[in-house]
Amino acid sequence: MVTITTVDTLQEAAASSGQGSSLLGGGTLLMRGVNYGDQDVSRIVRLRQPTPLAGISSEGERIRLGAFATMATIMKSGDTAFLHPVARAVGGPAIRNMATVGGNIFAPHPYGDFAVALLVLDARLRMSDGSEMDLDRLLPVRDTETRLVESVSALRPAGDDFRFLKVTRVKPRGASVLSIAAWLPRRAGRVSGARVAFGAMAPTPVRVPEVEAALEGVNLDQNGIERALQSVANNLNPPDDSLASGWYRKAVAPVHLGRLLLGQGTR
Amino acid sequence: MSSVEFRKDLFREERDDNLQEIGKPTRRQDILGHVTGRSPYYDDHLFDGLLHMRCVRSPHHHARIRSIDTGAAERMPGVIRVILARDVPNNLNTLLSLINFGKDEEKLIQDTKVAYVGEPVAAIIAETDRQARDACAAVKVDYEVLPHVLDPEEALSPQAPVVNEVYPNNTFDYHDLYDHQKLRFGDVDKGFAEADHIVEGEYQMSPIEQAPIETCGAIAAPETNDRYVCYTSTQALFFSLGTTAKLLDMPSSRLHFIGGTVGGGFGGKVDSIVEPLSVLGAVLAGRPVKFMWDRTEEMQVGAPRGAERWRIKDGVARDGRILARAFTGFFDAGAYTRLSSYAIIKCSAHLPGPYTIPNVAANVFCVFTNRTPATAMRGFGITGVDFAIECHMDKVAEAVGLNPIELRILNAYRDGDMKPHRRLAKNTALIECCQVAAQKSGWSIGAEAARQSSLLGGGGPRAEIPETVTDMAGQIGERRRSVIPTAPGEGASARGNVPAGTQGIPIVAAAPQDEDMIMDPSRTGYRGPSSTPTRIPEAAIATDTRPQAAAPASPPPPAARPGPVAPSGSSQVLQPALQPALSPPAPQASPEPPATAPQPPAPDAASQPYKPEKPFSRGVNRPGVSRFLSGSRRR
Repeated sequence: MVTITTVDTLQEAAASSGQGSSLLGGGTLLMRGVNYGDQDVSRIVRLRQPTPLAGISSEGERIRLGAFATMATIMKSGDTAFLHPVARAVGGPAIRNMATVGGNIFAPHPYGDFAVALLVLDARLRMSDGSEMDLDRLLPVRDTETRLVESVSALRPAGDDFRFLKVTRVKPRGASVLSIAAWLPRRAGRVSGARVAFGAMAPTPVRVPEVEAALEGVNLDQNGIERALQSVANNLNPPDDSLASGWYRKAVAPVHLGRLLLGQGTR
Repeated sequence: MSSVEFRKDLFREERDDNLQEIGKPTRRQDILGHVTGRSPYYDDHLFDGLLHMRCVRSPHHHARIRSIDTGAAERMPGVIRVILARDVPNNLNTLLSLINFGKDEEKLIQDTKVAYVGEPVAAIIAETDRQARDACAAVKVDYEVLPHVLDPEEALSPQAPVVNEVYPNNTFDYHDLYDHQKLRFGDVDKGFAEADHIVEGEYQMSPIEQAPIETCGAIAAPETNDRYVCYTSTQALFFSLGTTAKLLDMPSSRLHFIGGTVGGGFGGKVDSIVEPLSVLGAVLAGRPVKFMWDRTEEMQVGAPRGAERWRIKDGVARDGRILARAFTGFFDAGAYTRLSSYAIIKCSAHLPGPYTIPNVAANVFCVFTNRTPATAMRGFGITGVDFAIECHMDKVAEAVGLNPIELRILNAYRDGDMKPHRRLAKNTALIECCQVAAQKSGWSIGAEAARQSSLLGGGGPRAEIPETVTDMAGQIGERRRSVIPTAPGEGASARGNVPAGTQGIPIVAAAPQDEDMIMDPSRTGYRGPSSTPTRIPEAAIATDTRPQAAAPASPPPPAARPGPVAPSGSSQVLQPALQPALSPPAPQASPEPPATAPQPPAPDAASQPYKPEKPFSRGVNRPGVSRFLSGSRRR
């Protein structure tokens, strides 16, 4: 039997969490699981009033997204124009209306494309106990983390430094064969301090330091990116699922990364 | 405005053009309910005290069941009843047993061996769906994992694991004689020898899930008078009723089945798995029981259109005429037959596609593998091979350097042509279809091709049945002993000939399974086909100087039953499967009479109370009466 607990604050929600408990965000994954008898869910914890945690605010060179901010909210906000293509890549309108930033960080493979973008934007999480944590430190341990995410702060990229690509079989609303986000700051035309992350290429969204290193100091042309493309397959071990085999993902990842880096087919 | 264009000019001689509906916008009779959300589906029926059923399913492709421990599950909260194989009164069935085609081979719930991932080994009834799921997770099944086979051609190897013990050769038995369905028309080897080009190709398609929005399910509940009502999503209500009656060993009069709105079927709601289980649940629990597949089950255990692999070999003349075409086909039936055996019969009657080819041969295999059983889906038996044939036509066009549409028109069948399953083609229209398609797509075809018509040039010599070469390769069990080729004619130790003009041997239609299924001529106005259950006359065999063996043994009619009158439906199913006349391995001087063939009982005048002057034809032409009334209403 699934029980529902309603609490007033995120801190109360965190305190009442435990084995089999799940915090209800937008419910796009959780409620589907409940409807299909997911035996990992025995208790749903919901916030009486999540609106205060759904805001978007500007903090200098960073932007802060509340954990309950929905994809639809992000697409409506002028402050998050660089994230509009990412939010639009999540589900269809009905899903985007409900799906939250916080939920996306915990969404299992092959979902969680928004978190891929956050990874390259140096996302820092404010947790329910008031502490801060980097997103790339949370992701590997997200299944055992008992604290809840209150908000996310991400860098605001300049120009076309930030790029995102989601590859699906069903268009425009399919789940990821893979997704790629790249932050490519350049000095005198050469890449400096690149960040590249993949979705659906590992159990969680991941950055690929080898690719980032291979992009350091190169021009974004076919010759410049060659070494980065070669290092993709060596450093990822993507899972098989009904959308694509791991082998296929590995085979096509360099092709799509190449298109993204060369500015072909980005959205 | 409708975007459909009807080329009435092409067949004005053939067709009554007083069409009242076709070509005009019309409203589906059920659409108002659908768009307003008021159509009642089976799951919209509410019952007090409804219980929920879920299945414990095999995680293995192939495994022996050592033991099933349901103790913990039975003690879990909300669990009402655990159902095991021993609780199913008659736990062995094959879907087509209702028309006596194939052997019983599939258990509703397994107790000895699982042969595909998702095969049920227990069912649990609980107060809530979640409690049933939790209890399923608590059932401990001790499996001994066995080697499995997932490819149909690997399954034909003598070393392959046996998937289905009822068919130990991993192939469906056709006509109690062969491990495949044969089709023979003319002499393909002669055709290949005369050809200027040999074009070969292999084509393959994967299983396709019907993916209905409403997953398969049923709700059964005790009714008054010791009956059970069953609301179901089935698209084959009487199939489901008959199958349930058989598996539960219960007269069908105790079952009240209510179908109606199907939330998407496309062939995937024929297999009648959920109905027997839900009714069994209602019988054992004494309360209403719902058994509804979730989406994962629909994808994993819902029977799809099966995978097919085809090899086609064409002998083609320089001018593009196809002189011979040989098929080798493999239908992946999965672990149990369901409707795959029937798909192959349909398929064999369709070969070689909509073309007139003087020499055709086919070996089509229904192969058991450790995959989800396959079943019906939209044109099953035809769709896969048509994909192969049309791909191959393009390959042939390329080989001979012809316009692919002209090649199709050149080889197209025409009205009056003989098809390899010994039926005359009518209403062919492929030529006109090609011409219109070329015109609409701006694809130019030559004046000669544009002048052709499917109404002209057919028949005559094209209506004749050629002398046909036969062989006995691939008898049941032979492939299990040694590797023998699968292609038609290859590996045959002896060949025979059926003289030109011979229609072939009609297969005796299966006798009705139950007496209440025997056709009542007084109700239908039809006694059954006059040829049933006739065989090729002995005289016809004797006139051929070449040795001919007995006709393949057909299922004998049940001894205790009255003279079998085949239902016309099953006769239609089986007729297209041409059986070649057979040669014995060592030619003998004198022909043998068909010693094994059971002789049909002599027609008894008293058993024929009604003899219509004219054979029954579908519908009636009485003014003011619907053409589609039948039975007593028709009279």
